[in-house]
Amino acid sequence: MRLRTLTLRHFRNVAFARLDFVGRRQFFVGQNGQGKTNLLEAAGYLTAARSFRTAESATLLMHDQTTAAVACTLEHARLGETQVTIKVHRHSKELWCDQTRVTRLADYLGKFPTVVFSSQDLQLVRGAPAGRRRWLDLTLAAMDGSYLQALQTYTRALAERNALLKKGGAVAAQLEAFERVLAPAAVELIARRISGLQSIGAGMAAGYQKLCDGTEPAALVYAPDFAQPDQEALLARWAAGRARDLALRSTHTGPHRDDFALKVSGQEAKDFGSEGQQRSVVLALRLAQAAWFHAKSGVRPVLLADDVLGELDPGRRRKFWATIDPESQVLATGTALPDAELGTWEIFRVKEGDFQPEASA
Amino acid sequence: MTPAFEKLQQQLKQLPGLGYRSAERIALHLLVEKPAQLTALVSALEAAARSVRRCERCGNLAEGDVCGICADERRDRSVVCVVEHVPDLVALERSGAYRGSYHVLHGKLSPIHGVGPDQLNLAALQARLAAGEVAELILALSNDVEGEATCHYLTEQLPPAQAVKVTRIGFGLPSGGGVLYADSVTLKSALDGRRSYS
Repeated sequence: MRLRTLTLRHFRNVAFARLDFVGRRQFFVGQNGQGKTNLLEAAGYLTAARSFRTAESATLLMHDQTTAAVACTLEHARLGETQVTIKVHRHSKELWCDQTRVTRLADYLGKFPTVVFSSQDLQLVRGAPAGRRRWLDLTLAAMDGSYLQALQTYTRALAERNALLKKGGAVAAQLEAFERVLAPAAVELIARRISGLQSIGAGMAAGYQKLCDGTEPAALVYAPDFAQPDQEALLARWAAGRARDLALRSTHTGPHRDDFALKVSGQEAKDFGSEGQQRSVVLALRLAQAAWFHAKSGVRPVLLADDVLGELDPGRRRKFWATIDPESQVLATGTALPDAELGTWEIFRVKEGDFQPEASA
Repeated sequence: MTPAFEKLQQQLKQLPGLGYRSAERIALHLLVEKPAQLTALVSALEAAARSVRRCERCGNLAEGDVCGICADERRDRSVVCVVEHVPDLVALERSGAYRGSYHVLHGKLSPIHGVGPDQLNLAALQARLAAGEVAELILALSNDVEGEATCHYLTEQLPPAQAVKVTRIGFGLPSGGGVLYADSVTLKSALDGRRSYS
């Protein structure tokens, strides 16, 4: 997939911008706080109508505006030339695909993959499990409508069960009723996480080898709260935990407590990895995500590299670019122009939400 | 506008499906354009409020102790179709496809919204089951999280001694509809709910 035009309106600090892209390499250069990341955020919004920076739609709107819009024309491996428009309102959003309104997110997901490389990705290694779960859910749901449906069912049923736990009293029969709704959704989530993380993990291990010259092996290890994708076993576990859950007023076991570990040479990168190892692990994870999207959907994702070039030493930078699928479109940002050795880019100067293409060098 | 008019408009606006403009239109219509309708409407409201209540057996709307369906001797009382709300019952009746009886729960379990078993019309259903007159329970609740949980709850609460057959209505393709235009979630439940064909 390749973006040919990208239009933003009232999106964060961008009042209006219409950008035309000719090739597969675009670079946005400017000082901090000018709107470079906002542009990548808008491009990333196409994938699942979700921002990689915030869960709050309202923060995407320009000050004093009620609607923001992102529109693009893209070349698509399956759909040919396609127009996608997303309007973001304060509490809702509208998706349009070739002038047709999309009413079900499940029908839209997986068609327009993008992968973000951001300096905040280090949190995937260092941060709390919730961040890794969010990445996992967004990644798997982006390619798989059934995963999204299971996730929505699970989340809703869990909220109902937790509401019962907060109320307390003699609610065992009601708890069981919601556990029976949770169980099939949980089985679906666990099974799909096992297989998804297996493929992505294999890709990550291979990518890490390339980035680091194969000196040490890296691995992605699923750390489920409960590993058996079996309804009866899960039901027994929730039933056994009711007294504790009632005392603590929330559900303390289930796939909403899952995690995964990123390991280098068998040790957790979170605790034992050097800064460089952690950065390489995250890059390898994102590259594997891109490869997995491509394998699942048959569409090459657009890569959105938010100021990651600047953070790598020249050796790693070269290997990173050598690892990337050369057919993929890359939108990259930075405070300085990329090295000449990284090939030719279409350059855009970014200042106060305004984008000026630079005459090709 | 006058204070009395505004108060009327406020009251109308709180009715389901009515916004500010519709409320204003209805109020003007009743007071200015067709005042003759007003007396008829008020007396119809009063009469209905006096006489319409819940059927003791099934929870449907009734005048008197039981509703028209429960009073009808030709309806099969051994089959009970459990629905969430009265409009669901009306829709099923309109289909003309069902000759059994009903039970209206007036909601579904949703702890988030403060709805528990005590808020649902369950005691009357228990009484019907205990009386041993029910052979089949058709669960026609919506297939969202709360509807499914309510189905599980009802099934768990069945008296164990009796052999009551419990069925769930099918979910899938609309009649006359092709596979092509169905969304992925509907197709999935249509495939899950397939049955042998011969």
